[in-house]
Amino acid sequence: MKRVLIIGSGISGLTCAVETAMAGNCAVLVSPYPSERAQSVMAAGGINAVVPNGDNGDSIDLHVRETLDGGCRIAGERTVTGLCTDAPHILTWLEGLGVVFTRNADGSLARRAFGGQSRKRTAYAGASTGKQIVTALVQEARKWECAGRITRRLGLQFHSALIEDGVCSGALFYDETAKRLEPLYADAVVFATGGQNRLFGKTTGSALCDGYAAGQLFLQGAKLKNLEFIQYHPTTIETPQKRMLITEGARGDGGRLYYMENGRRVYFMEEKYGEKGNLMPRDIVSKCIYDAPSQVYLDIAFLGEQKIKENLREVYDLCREYLGLDVTKESIPVAPSVHFFMGGLAVDIKHRTNICNLYAVGECASIYHGANRLGGNSLLAAVYSGRVAARDIAQVSPTPSHANFESYIREQNEKLSARTATKSRFSAVYIQNDLAKIMNEDLGIVRTEEKLHDGIQNLQFYLSIVEKLKYDSEISPYQAYSLRPMLCLGLAVLTCAAERRETRGAHIRTDFPQRADNMATCTLIDYNNGAFDVTYRNEDELCW
Amino acid sequence: MLVKIKRQKDAESAPYWQTFSVDADPDMTVSALLDRLNYTDDLYDAEGVAAPRIRWECSCSQKMCGACAMVINGIPKLACAAFLRDEKGDVLTLEPLSKFPVVADLIVDRSIISENLQKAQAYLGTYRPLRKKDFEQMYAAAKCLKCGLCLEVCPNYSKGEHFFGALFANEAALLALQSKDRAKPLREAYDKHFAAGCSKALSCVGVCPMEIDTLASMARMNRSGK
Repeated sequence: MKRVLIIGSGISGLTCAVETAMAGNCAVLVSPYPSERAQSVMAAGGINAVVPNGDNGDSIDLHVRETLDGGCRIAGERTVTGLCTDAPHILTWLEGLGVVFTRNADGSLARRAFGGQSRKRTAYAGASTGKQIVTALVQEARKWECAGRITRRLGLQFHSALIEDGVCSGALFYDETAKRLEPLYADAVVFATGGQNRLFGKTTGSALCDGYAAGQLFLQGAKLKNLEFIQYHPTTIETPQKRMLITEGARGDGGRLYYMENGRRVYFMEEKYGEKGNLMPRDIVSKCIYDAPSQVYLDIAFLGEQKIKENLREVYDLCREYLGLDVTKESIPVAPSVHFFMGGLAVDIKHRTNICNLYAVGECASIYHGANRLGGNSLLAAVYSGRVAARDIAQVSPTPSHANFESYIREQNEKLSARTATKSRFSAVYIQNDLAKIMNEDLGIVRTEEKLHDGIQNLQFYLSIVEKLKYDSEISPYQAYSLRPMLCLGLAVLTCAAERRETRGAHIRTDFPQRADNMATCTLIDYNNGAFDVTYRNEDELCW
Repeated sequence: MLVKIKRQKDAESAPYWQTFSVDADPDMTVSALLDRLNYTDDLYDAEGVAAPRIRWECSCSQKMCGACAMVINGIPKLACAAFLRDEKGDVLTLEPLSKFPVVADLIVDRSIISENLQKAQAYLGTYRPLRKKDFEQMYAAAKCLKCGLCLEVCPNYSKGEHFFGALFANEAALLALQSKDRAKPLREAYDKHFAAGCSKALSCVGVCPMEIDTLASMARMNRSGK
């Protein structure tokens, strides 16, 4: 029986744990907080899958084609075909776990239209699809916990992977209660740690998704991919505490975007792209809102109170509570904001990274979405990737390792003690805030060579001092030790963005406004003794 | 405004109170206020003494994850959904939830919640579709944040040794109504870990940030048992 260490307990981590248990293996599911705190619960809109007798002759081929087109032709056809082919089975599986999907009057699953897709293929559970899936998966995981096949470990923050000679044997965690590092060993290690939100400060997502794991693994030899592709969700609202997302489901159910000009509404998306203009892929809608001459609004009031309260209850509640706005009567002021990371740990079709026994799933892995992800494909990829990784682990023999990590662990514990022994009042928050400022200002939604190089120089300066400073030890040491890997990750993102001299999907360069045919490929970045090496590869050819 | 916070360095330390003075806007939530304090360059309390940053749990900041549950002016609430305009008095008081062990400041260890759900074997077994009339209630029940506010406010819940509280009643109903083969053991667990200990004070209903109708879940569980 194999022991699989899974780090992160959102939808991809939970699925991987359940699938590991189903395959007869043992999963250790580690996270600082329970699954209910994971960003997965915030996914609102739905999950894509083509079902028999789907909308208007829908087919898996069409789902594949629209995913590849939405991703601007750099995702792998083979990988995307795997994802879309399994989607109907995934939907059936989730239904059988008791996910409370919204249904039609005849009991069949209801579907809504989503951006970049010509058919209604997005199944949904009101406007809380992610939460409903998490609830069912937590209950399913609990069954395997009762059977002793899944062990949950809460309260542990990832510190570093235990890697020697390109083989991973486990990971080291910081235990806040015991105030020490704890190693966990396994035959395979799966990262399910989500996106890189915290690089940008407050985003629409969870503050717990900080990109630290990707940054740390990068420094330990893992390749990263497509980092320059960062999705700005077109419709977010400003509140005193953060930007919040208005689900694409609002436009899927008919919502219209407009701005005011000379006292009349200009439905700019419809004028430019026809009646389905509001549901163009997110990269296009976001850029159009960014270019609009004045404040853009989303109107759903005409859908009527009953439909809004039935299908979009969460949108109604969110706007009422945080904006004091009644969406059944008024339009919602919206603007694009950082939302999803198409980039992350480079994985092959089996979700293996370039390090033996080390896998990545969910948003922290980069695959399927190319330069722009379609709405409804992230929940699908989260479930699918967890299954694929668990099945591969069950099938292959782990690469053996006889490495001894005792001296490494001792050394890291000593470093940690030194961090907590200091009386310094300098807060790690200062550097985190500066990193977010650089990422937002020098990268942003629209990019130029000049700005990117400013950002790179600034981050190089911070990297040159970050380990020389002592940080306020009253805050968790995690905040201090996560700084350097996060700065490195930020620098890797800017480097990939500077190197891609074209405009494609979510990567918009005003100095290179056209798509370049010779760049229809994925970006890989490696860390080699301080150097950041960028190469380009076809997603389907990745194999380690 | 003045914010009085019950602080504790770590699980072993003694708690103490510290008051801060902060510029606040009535439309801010308590979570926005805590961010404002923590993100100032240097944090001093109202008497000008240097203070460590305030530890609190935060993930979504928009009432979807339950991380920031705490006691605000004596009432258990989510910090991200507690608006200052709704709080009365000149001093805002923040305390950690009292029914869970403190990790640091306003952060508590709520792992007992998942441990008890496991102890009660709260899982589905073989699926059967929900009846249409149960859909709305169960959709709401599945939104339970496991934040612990219903346990904090409940006069019958102390440490979760036998009585598992409203969140368990809702979880049991959600599972029992969708299970072809486990309704019976789920009902037995419900009787043992909820019905036997509930005095029907119903304080859990008003405090739930998801507005889950626990009474409706109880009605379904009681009905299905007769």
